[in-house]
Amino acid sequence: MPTRTDSTSQTRNTVYVAVFAAMIAAMGLLPPITLGIIPVPITLQTLGVMLAGALLGPWRGSLASLVVVVLSLAGLPLLAGGRGGLGVLFGPTGGYLIGWIFGSLVIGALFKYWVLRYENKVARFMSGLASALLGGIVVIYLFGVPWTAAVTGLALGTSLLGSLGFLPGDVLKAVVATLVALTVHRSYRGLMK
Amino acid sequence: MIAAKNTSYLARVKPGWKFGTLLVLSIGLYLISSWQVLLPLFILSAILLLSARVDLKQLRMPLFSLAMILGIVFILLALQTDWANAVVSVLRLLTMCLMAYAVSLTTSFDAMLELFQQVASPLRFLGANPAQIALGLSMTIRFIPELKKVYLEVREAQHARGLGNNPLAVSVPLVIRSLKIADETAEALDARGYDSAPYRR
Repeated sequence: MPTRTDSTSQTRNTVYVAVFAAMIAAMGLLPPITLGIIPVPITLQTLGVMLAGALLGPWRGSLASLVVVVLSLAGLPLLAGGRGGLGVLFGPTGGYLIGWIFGSLVIGALFKYWVLRYENKVARFMSGLASALLGGIVVIYLFGVPWTAAVTGLALGTSLLGSLGFLPGDVLKAVVATLVALTVHRSYRGLMK
Repeated sequence: MIAAKNTSYLARVKPGWKFGTLLVLSIGLYLISSWQVLLPLFILSAILLLSARVDLKQLRMPLFSLAMILGIVFILLALQTDWANAVVSVLRLLTMCLMAYAVSLTTSFDAMLELFQQVASPLRFLGANPAQIALGLSMTIRFIPELKKVYLEVREAQHARGLGNNPLAVSVPLVIRSLKIADETAEALDARGYDSAPYRR
């Protein structure tokens, strides 16, 4: 009965996307965790973006990010600090938000077709970390930095320099996202089938 | 930022018109590079926002964070180029954001979502399913408080074990429990015969 399984898996996919979108949103509503090593409190929202990609794969992962972007642009105060509305898109940090969608897409694709093919633990971790860094930092900054430069008229270099302040927190989030994703994949097999 | 009970003249304009005008004006603003023109436009946008009788309390946080970023941008631009350039850039951004707030705060969330759905409706031909999208969006909103609760519970439990600040000890149970909630919900939907297939093949 192919039709039956089609609709079942489609419903399941939609629910997964909704739950991860809600997780990204919930992470923005919470008081940020302050870690002992870094004095700056880090919000967990990009961690959710990385996790959505790493756990759900490219399509469902980027859809989860897209849902958060759409809902917050439509006016829900879902972004860190209770921001939301069209002002976010037109403001200087709008590019990072758009970058989320492509960040989860890249992480999801790399996890699905590269990271999870490894059986070796170390190889899995190293490739997973590389994917999280590439998708969660390089790709997101690739949208955010030029956007800030274009909107404000700052030089590209200055805009990049400004974003480097968030780099330590983002690297840490990439490490956490990789460890969490690999742990969950071990106990929840077949997430990406 | 939701237009809770806005009944001003702006709230009666169709969302599509507001959004389209906002887009056109934002692009137009980039063609203007003299502060003599931008300053009146900025004042106009502020008048627009105030005349729409928006709830200014809702604007306090976003305006504060915007002002912080713009302050940094202003200083950097002034150092790198000159004052006039910095003034133009900051005025332009402020004007744009005030206009965007005016649209957001006078358009209800439902109307905005409906507009997005209209904009995205050509995607239907690429295989996107409107019923499935509507289900996903409304479920997301419903799941947010639930996941927040789960997160706080997990964090409290791990605090009791002395692991409250360990990101791994908090994230792994959070993700697993989220996946469990998703599985249960999908099963419940299926058990009740929810069928969102666009058409039978």
